[in-house]
Amino acid sequence: MKGLKSALEQGIWPWLCAGCVALSLLMLGALLALLLTRGLGHFWPSALDEVTLNNGDVVVGEAVRDVPIPNRAGSERLYFTGNRDVDDARWRWVAIDSIAHQTQPAELLRLKRRTWGDFIGYLEAVEVGGERFSGRDALQQATQALQLPAPERARYQLTLRTPQGQTLRQPLSTVLSIEAPNAMHVGQKVRVWATDVWQFLSQGPRAANTDGGVWPAIFGTMLMVILMSVIVTPFGVLAAIYLNEIAHQGRLTRLVRIGVRNLAGVPSIVYGVFGLGVFVYGIGGSLDAWFFDDALPSPTFGTGGLLWASLTLALLTLPVVIVATEEGLARIPDAQREGAVALGATRFEMLTRIVLPMATPAMLTGVILAVARAAGEVAPLMLVGVAKLAPQMPLDGEFPYLHLERKFMHLGYHLFDTAFHGEDVQAAIPLVYATALLLVLIVLVLNLTAILLRHHLRRQRGSEC
Amino acid sequence: MTRIRLFHQPLRHLKDRIATGLITAGGIVVLLAILGIGVFLVWEAAPLLLDGDTASLAMLSPLAWGTLKAALMALLFALPLALGAAAYSAFFMSPRLRSRIKPTLEMMEAIPGVVVGFIAGMLLAPWVERHLASTLVVIVWLPLSAGLAGLVWHLASRRWQRRLPLSWAALWLVPWLIAMFIIALWLTPRVEQAFWEGDLRQYLYAVFGLDYVTRNALIVGLAMGFAVIPSVYSLAEDALTEVPRPLMEGAQALGASRWQAVVKVALAAAGPGLFSAVMIGAGRAVGETMIVLMASSNTAMLSASPFEGMRTMAAAIAIELPEATAGGSPYRMLVLAALLLFLFTFLVNTLAELVRHRLRRRYQRLGGAS
Amino acid sequence: MNSNGFTFRMIYRAAVGLAWLLLSLPLVGWAQPQAPSVSGTLGAVGSDTMAGLMLRLGEALTTQYPQINVQFQASGSASAPPALLAGTTRIGPMSRRMTTDERSAFIERYGYPPLELRVARDALIVIVHRHNPLAAISLQDVDAVFSTHQACGGAEPMTRWKTLTQDATAPSGRIALHGRNMASGTYGLFRQRALCDGEFRPDISEYMGASAVVAAVGESYAAMGYSGHNHLTPSVKALSLTTQQGNAVPPSETAIQSGDYPLSRYLYVYVNLPPDETLPAAERAFLDLIMSAEGQQITRASGFVPLPLDDLEAQRAW
Repeated sequence: MKGLKSALEQGIWPWLCAGCVALSLLMLGALLALLLTRGLGHFWPSALDEVTLNNGDVVVGEAVRDVPIPNRAGSERLYFTGNRDVDDARWRWVAIDSIAHQTQPAELLRLKRRTWGDFIGYLEAVEVGGERFSGRDALQQATQALQLPAPERARYQLTLRTPQGQTLRQPLSTVLSIEAPNAMHVGQKVRVWATDVWQFLSQGPRAANTDGGVWPAIFGTMLMVILMSVIVTPFGVLAAIYLNEIAHQGRLTRLVRIGVRNLAGVPSIVYGVFGLGVFVYGIGGSLDAWFFDDALPSPTFGTGGLLWASLTLALLTLPVVIVATEEGLARIPDAQREGAVALGATRFEMLTRIVLPMATPAMLTGVILAVARAAGEVAPLMLVGVAKLAPQMPLDGEFPYLHLERKFMHLGYHLFDTAFHGEDVQAAIPLVYATALLLVLIVLVLNLTAILLRHHLRRQRGSEC
Repeated sequence: MTRIRLFHQPLRHLKDRIATGLITAGGIVVLLAILGIGVFLVWEAAPLLLDGDTASLAMLSPLAWGTLKAALMALLFALPLALGAAAYSAFFMSPRLRSRIKPTLEMMEAIPGVVVGFIAGMLLAPWVERHLASTLVVIVWLPLSAGLAGLVWHLASRRWQRRLPLSWAALWLVPWLIAMFIIALWLTPRVEQAFWEGDLRQYLYAVFGLDYVTRNALIVGLAMGFAVIPSVYSLAEDALTEVPRPLMEGAQALGASRWQAVVKVALAAAGPGLFSAVMIGAGRAVGETMIVLMASSNTAMLSASPFEGMRTMAAAIAIELPEATAGGSPYRMLVLAALLLFLFTFLVNTLAELVRHRLRRRYQRLGGAS
Repeated sequence: MNSNGFTFRMIYRAAVGLAWLLLSLPLVGWAQPQAPSVSGTLGAVGSDTMAGLMLRLGEALTTQYPQINVQFQASGSASAPPALLAGTTRIGPMSRRMTTDERSAFIERYGYPPLELRVARDALIVIVHRHNPLAAISLQDVDAVFSTHQACGGAEPMTRWKTLTQDATAPSGRIALHGRNMASGTYGLFRQRALCDGEFRPDISEYMGASAVVAAVGESYAAMGYSGHNHLTPSVKALSLTTQQGNAVPPSETAIQSGDYPLSRYLYVYVNLPPDETLPAAERAFLDLIMSAEGQQITRASGFVPLPLDDLEAQRAW
């Protein structure tokens, strides 16, 4: 009773507040855990079920999820069945109470193919130049042949059998990989998982963005971000030096400073509108009219592209760099500047030899924060230059090597696009989770770097002063 | 020696002049470019305003309403959480934990809107539609259960109190909340059966005439609230920690409990700082594009129901601008929407900045700048 | 201090180097090299419905000619005419025919009409949740469900499931409507053919992609929506349409190809081709691919219905 009295005296409010922190942590943790499990789990070679229904139908595939049936009791399960060329569909809903029995045959295979997506079924035979292998030899031959160079591989023909008994012929050259997940032990599964993750990172998208990897998107994001930081760093630093070291510290400068700071809070889509109106329609249109009129009506710079996207994002992140650099400059004690000038240095020498080196970590922090923000920004890019699919990189061996006018792929937009525009959202969702995880990881690592750098900087300053 | 020095000196000064000139020019160009954004938006939107094209302006009103609705829902969800969290971590949390938790929560801000929007639209929205009652119960019950934990703590023995102190509650409440979450999910269908005739959505329609849309303001509020929490939390926490300690100590010396000191003294002193934090949060919520685009139904309707969707100005720009021909009236209407967003966020942020500036000076007068 | 100076010098040098690179690159870029053989950039702006098809065609094209650079932007058919007009693209895939306004604007700007190619057949389908007992719906009811005032001649708007079906297992409450955004050709065509050019109800949830509509309908029992036939998945059920004569026509391949299914349509690709010029090699290769047997196979893989053979022959002469 005494406890209850003290509880009512002191109130439970602090506990409610503690609950707020705990709840925020919980949400953050749940989000990250969700991304991690869904994003990485997709690549795990999961078991394939062979399900016989009460009406005699056979369904073979990977169980995806269970949901309750809305208009009667019980639930149903979604199977990924593949074989779109045979069944016209990749999915099948099966009511749980209609399942007669269920097995996991070890011979079940999953083939990744270039067109039509995955095949799930059995390997009947492998033919190569008149020879025919069947049974266990067939699988062995096929897996070995996958390692051969392309012209060799083209000689192989696979005969596949669907669980429903149809057979079809598949040239090996259109097959990307063959797996028998039910027969694999954990070590093999880990190996397959690792190669799949690697392929996701290193390959381009396939089958209309429902399959394959995100390498062009990673590359496009990186290139755009690098270009952006090349633009934003000198200008941001210049503006910060001007504001902090050269401009007269009056009312106007203070207003400008507040203005710049507030631009960091202006919604990114507004910058997108500006980029579209000024860079693409304005400058790009004029450039086309002056230099590329022979290519018109095909536009060169008069459409969204790498250059305009980088410029727009540079403008967007300019306040971040200016604010961070100014913070660093303001931390440098005036005694340092006065000492340099007293020893006969000009202002330029004082800036380049004393002030800037001391402010370098702050500048770096600003640039990294800018990069982190740009990597996660999607809305303005939708207006100034991302493309759904641009398998050709903006950087290649073809003269002039860096193609500033090309459209590019971006991780964040790729995520939005596959989740909403794709042909089959259901099939793309696991890839979207993986992409989201990748994007979050990149942004978090960049932010962590900035935080550590700032921490390091503050400690160093502390010991110096 | 003297000759050399004479020879060098003018060059050095010339270099200095040139460099200073370049920096000045560069700095001013950058500042002008930034100013250019505002000028461009006004320039492009001006014909619409001058013509008095009322049809286009009428199209803006549901968008403006949608923007406000989305921002309000987000703030409704984010403000209590963010301010509560700020108060706790400024006054009750152990410093060691605080130095870890604060950057972690600030990290939340870095999570791209497109990821949050995707999860809200694809995962959260269908789940909430199937479990509406559970969701509402969880939203109410989880914060309350933290209070319940406090009550239980007061009743517990000293040993337990020492083992699970208030200053670390942010961590050990996490498993408690997970347990409460699971209990709520398990219990709600039974409650729903008893009070709302088994289906809350039908009950809502029958009693209040409310219809339910899958991607609604509630979902947007939850998702965007998640995105707004960190910035509000971070600024509010800064404002609260800057409250001069002598003020708090004085209040406690006069017999106030810690919580009373927090409410009566710290919140009052830091009021303007909290206000500016809220303003910054509002600015973020108004301009966020991807979350609304992916988690709302994008219907341009004037409806106040939290279970119906909306279309915000930012989302409308992202959806419609690529198809609008430059110079046409839909184009100008969208640019006007961008101008409104720009003005709103700029003004709100300036206000917040000025208020914060004032506050800092006040603290300095109170003589306890931290 | 010392190490700081060092890092600064390094960064300074790197920055100067990068700045030079950046300054020189656009200049180099503007030298515009002459492209050999089949290469160049192929840009297309337009229909979201055809996005999968265009992506697959692009993939096939780049395996054939690795030199070709394919860029594709899909935000809806309505984005194709402005892009063709503004010259931001030469190829505009559209899931509906150009309106006379769009066509005359093009002619006004360039002095010649755009080349119109039919690519495949498609249909608009009205979809419900897979467990919904409703199997067929009349066109008049579609109008009553989706539009504000019934331009097709219906009496009353229908907003609740009980007005549509008496089945006890049918969802209760309001019909939750899902559809596309205004830029989409699917939106325009559905409005024209199913709503008799009437207005859509304002409370239809709008999505930026057709597959998002299908996914949303598949998640929600009380939902109804419309999309292109190619986005059909087992999570939803495509309703048969009851014609004036009273027979229900399912959206099957034969019914779509023959045009018996009321909401079937052609898919188009519009090309900006001046009459006295030939297309650049990349564009030509692309159009050839579409009209080839391989291209028609790709349309099937993308979920569309290939053109009837005689139609295809007529198209090949472009």
